[in-house]
Amino acid sequence: MKALTIARRELHAAFTGAVGWLVLVGFGFLAGVFFQWVFTAYAEASTELVFDPYAAQQLDLGDHLLAPFFGDLAIIVVLAGPALAMRLFSEEYRTRSFELLLTSPVTTGDIVLGKFLGALGFAALALAVTAVGPLSLFWFGDPDPGVLASGYLGLTLLFGAVLAMGMCASAWTENQIVALVTSFSAALALFILGMFGMDDPDAWLVQLAFTGHLDDLFVGRVGLSDVTYFVAFIGFFLFATAQRIESLRWR
Amino acid sequence: MIRVEQLTKTYGPNRAVEGLNFHVDRGEVVGFLGPNGAGKSTTMRILCGALGATSGRATVDGHDVAERPGQVKRLIGYLPEVPPLYSEMVVRDFLSFAARLKGVASVGPSVEDVLARVGLSDVAGRLIGNLSKGYRQRVGIAQALVHRPAVLVLDEPTSGLDPAQRVEIRDLLRDLSAGDTTVILSTHVLAEVEAICSRAIVIHKGRIVSDDAMAARQAWQVRAIVARPDDALVARWLSLAGVWGVDDLGGGRFRIRAEGDVREVVAAAAAPSGLLELSREGSLEDVFLALTAEAA
Repeated sequence: MKALTIARRELHAAFTGAVGWLVLVGFGFLAGVFFQWVFTAYAEASTELVFDPYAAQQLDLGDHLLAPFFGDLAIIVVLAGPALAMRLFSEEYRTRSFELLLTSPVTTGDIVLGKFLGALGFAALALAVTAVGPLSLFWFGDPDPGVLASGYLGLTLLFGAVLAMGMCASAWTENQIVALVTSFSAALALFILGMFGMDDPDAWLVQLAFTGHLDDLFVGRVGLSDVTYFVAFIGFFLFATAQRIESLRWR
Repeated sequence: MIRVEQLTKTYGPNRAVEGLNFHVDRGEVVGFLGPNGAGKSTTMRILCGALGATSGRATVDGHDVAERPGQVKRLIGYLPEVPPLYSEMVVRDFLSFAARLKGVASVGPSVEDVLARVGLSDVAGRLIGNLSKGYRQRVGIAQALVHRPAVLVLDEPTSGLDPAQRVEIRDLLRDLSAGDTTVILSTHVLAEVEAICSRAIVIHKGRIVSDDAMAARQAWQVRAIVARPDDALVARWLSLAGVWGVDDLGGGRFRIRAEGDVREVVAAAAAPSGLLELSREGSLEDVFLALTAEAA
């Protein structure tokens, strides 16, 4: 209950000042560009395949248009997540407003969960803006709504993971730039690692990375292990953040 | 209402607070005095649950601060040294947020009430970041008051305010203590302690060096200059209730040592001898300096 109060304030704070709006505009713009790319590529492919009905049958809106679109958006999520998360705690330490949360009758869990949900709420809005292109497909085609749903589930989970990690970094320092660089490096590493080990999908490094866990979600396969991976990832960083906040009282 | 026993807080090798013992009764207004770095803020932060004590315990209304922080925080309103404000929020929204955090049942009326009490109604719709320091301090106080706490802990509530604002805050605190609120406040302004506190605790280097503020308040020295000094005048002064010593400084100048404010009766007694000047000399300030120098 108190967590929602905190989440609401976070969400509200994201929209005072230009940053929140800029991020939304940025998401909308980039999503538009990406959609244009994948759409053009898809259109070209289908024109080329006019005389090859067998191959044309293999062409699928989900696999060949939405999946690459989601893949492009994932990069933006990894880039934007740390920037959205960096101020969550650092800013409050710097302005000393954190004292209000520390001395109000709220638990550390409420604080951490509230901040996370607030940031995730904003992330959801940013993702909603990107859905304009994919939704327009319904107008002149019949994309699989399941693929759309599972793709956005994947992006939301990825956003949550990056935000949780960024929030944890933010809880450690009152310097937002330090929080940004730390969580951004880690997020990028986790994103790229998976690309190196493509030939051996069972390597633990690949298992640890985001990338491999997104592929299935982006083509409409919701696997328990992938969802569990993200939920556990988020849970771990929420826990680590709570531990850090708790330790502040015992310095 | 508040009971502190053997409270100690160390930061690595530094002892911020060492073996603090004191208690505060319901409705008392207690001033924390001490030089910077004496441990006032640390003590207050421990009471409010922002910081854990290294050893010792503190209870508020019978609830242990460390064991039942939720209960204690509901009872306390706390204004830290730097008011905890979100500059991008509008005053009214911020106070609503604070009220919800503190579990106030009827948020709207509580916020309007506290806005009026602290004198913020005129700026309720403005961004906190655009307010003057005095108003920001008031928003900080409003935040501490919004849930009508039984205990108010204020860390330098009047720092950075102009004299008129100080008086307003002082009046507000006086009203609150009349309404049975227990108040602990820290300050550098000794006149403030004399004006509003029923008791002062002097902390120096993490220890309490004095906790009988009544004596501190009552140790008055009055300096008088009269035109025609004589022995009868000294005798008249010494016969006054509360006066326990008169020093003849020569040239018609005297120092009268007394308990409490005796200026009026001293002046009356001196009138036949041609009183030229009467002023208060020394006060809590001297006591404070003496105490903190002694312990240094």
